[in-house]
Amino acid sequence: MQYFKNIIFIFIFLNSFQALSKNNFNIHPIEVSKNIYVFMGDNNDVNPKNGGAISNTAFIIGTKSILVIDAGPSYLYGSKVIEIIKSYSSLPIRYLVVTHHHPDHSFGLSRFIENGTKIIMAQSEINRYVKYGNRLLKQLKNLIGEDWFIDTKIVAFENENIKFPINVNLGGREIIIELYDQGHSEGDLIVKDLLSKTIFVGDLVFNERAPTIPHANINNWNKYISTIMDSNWDYLVPGHGKLIKEKEELLLTKYWINYIDKIAKKAAKNGMSPAEIFNKGIPEPLLKYKLAKETWIRDLPLLINKYEFE
Amino acid sequence: MFKVFLFIMLILYSKFAYSGPFSDFKAGAGLSEELSSSPTERRNKPNSESIVQSRDALDSQNSEMWNDLQNELLGKNAKVFFVADVKIIMQDYIEEAHKVPLIVAIPKRLHNFNKLILLIENNPIQQVISLKPYRSIEAIGMNVRLEDDSPIRVAILDKDGNWNIGSKMVFVASAGGCSTPACDPAIEVCEPGIVGKIAVKEYEREAGAQRIKLKITHPMETGFVVDTDGEIIPEYFIKNIHVDDIDGPIADITTFAALSSDPVLLLDLSEKGQSVRVHVMDSHGLEFFSYKKDISM
Ligand SMILES: [Zn+2]
Repeated sequence: MQYFKNIIFIFIFLNSFQALSKNNFNIHPIEVSKNIYVFMGDNNDVNPKNGGAISNTAFIIGTKSILVIDAGPSYLYGSKVIEIIKSYSSLPIRYLVVTHHHPDHSFGLSRFIENGTKIIMAQSEINRYVKYGNRLLKQLKNLIGEDWFIDTKIVAFENENIKFPINVNLGGREIIIELYDQGHSEGDLIVKDLLSKTIFVGDLVFNERAPTIPHANINNWNKYISTIMDSNWDYLVPGHGKLIKEKEELLLTKYWINYIDKIAKKAAKNGMSPAEIFNKGIPEPLLKYKLAKETWIRDLPLLINKYEFE
Repeated sequence: MFKVFLFIMLILYSKFAYSGPFSDFKAGAGLSEELSSSPTERRNKPNSESIVQSRDALDSQNSEMWNDLQNELLGKNAKVFFVADVKIIMQDYIEEAHKVPLIVAIPKRLHNFNKLILLIENNPIQQVISLKPYRSIEAIGMNVRLEDDSPIRVAILDKDGNWNIGSKMVFVASAGGCSTPACDPAIEVCEPGIVGKIAVKEYEREAGAQRIKLKITHPMETGFVVDTDGEIIPEYFIKNIHVDDIDGPIADITTFAALSSDPVLLLDLSEKGQSVRVHVMDSHGLEFFSYKKDISM
């Protein structure tokens, strides 16, 4: 009997140890400007090491309340972010802006609802999140393991017919939230902090890494990047990749989306198969982007199909 | 003492449990247990060892699967030749296994072939298509599902009754193209469309030649996918695609669920067809036409 107890004990010990080591998000916020912090996402594809935390999450502290930008991939991630923010400030986390519906930005949001935080998200993106969320969640669990998604739920919620742009005051700092619809997604939100001249643009801008285009309208997206380049900011926080200080760095996102768009249109016009284009290798100017091959191969057939058959 | 032994055993066990499925090529393996238990576990990229093994697997002598396939599909006494001039154009390393585009480039000497069969050895559904042509065809393209790393074979029956086999080895990063729902989290294309919508596109090629592309919206269910409620989605796929024009038939294609959902087929004809039409029949007996069917015909 004693042996039996020991076995059980060892089993529990090992399992709990694994669970802990496996689910731990090792994230630390970096300070962009006074009272503005960013958790940098792992600049990789979703994998069992990063637990899906591949995009950037940020928070802004005012004198009265706190605003968070993007919820991360899961309930556990959301919990970790809330826990860390509480160690920085005891003010209430009043707002969460979800820039768009992609799982790496939205799946942590139920944790914020529990926290009493108000969720700000474009209606089109709430619809997509609710409609596709459970299937995508299941796929993600298959991909990197159930454990990363313990307690992660897709919840329906109201946005009370928000008409963008909206202004939010966190106490001592004014925040503007703008909608850029039918660009990178059906409804991307941009957050501007006027005090520090910091702009949070979600996946309208990717830094270093190849932008993903499955829900994109390339024309609009292109215009939006120009608009962002022309607006007044000192710091730009992209959806993925490092902080940006020079507006020329936005040209990288532009270059990729225009390049892939041009190739896809040409292929659709000539009836080419993606297999024939892939056979030529990744175009040289795209090789400098992180995840170039994966993104090229994943997105090009989708775009060709869109231009050829829709 | 016993306790220490158990402890070591448990640590070993946990190590094994954590090593994850390794993508060493399994020549002739069916759906292995580890794959069916965690079909989309991310695997390692092919290493030098697995590439050597895969090269060996392309040699039909080393494939457990090939002989059975040959007997079953090409006939027991088929005259079979492994040739280098029949090319399968596709990626070596596949990230997304639900929709993998490929093209079979047919050499000139075989443009007037009698039959073409495309096979994926390590798929639960191995045969993808079997095509009988009525005209000269120079290339055939399609999107396929891949369950695992596998040799891909195309068998072309020539006028002399010989089977010409072209081969290609491909690696799959995330297994389960046949057994997991086609709803990749990154691309999120999971909305089932209207069944049986057909689009036919014709493209001019050099010297009067033509490319025909057709897309048919259809779920092409494999019967190996479990839905969100844990129920198996029954197989449901297109069984036959008949392509013709005003001069008569162009190709008659028997199809299987190893073709991707919303299949796209590509045919390169040596001579331009006139007003190409498509007639499709699926496994529920439903028929779809790219044209208005004339009842009197
Ligand atoms: Zn993203």
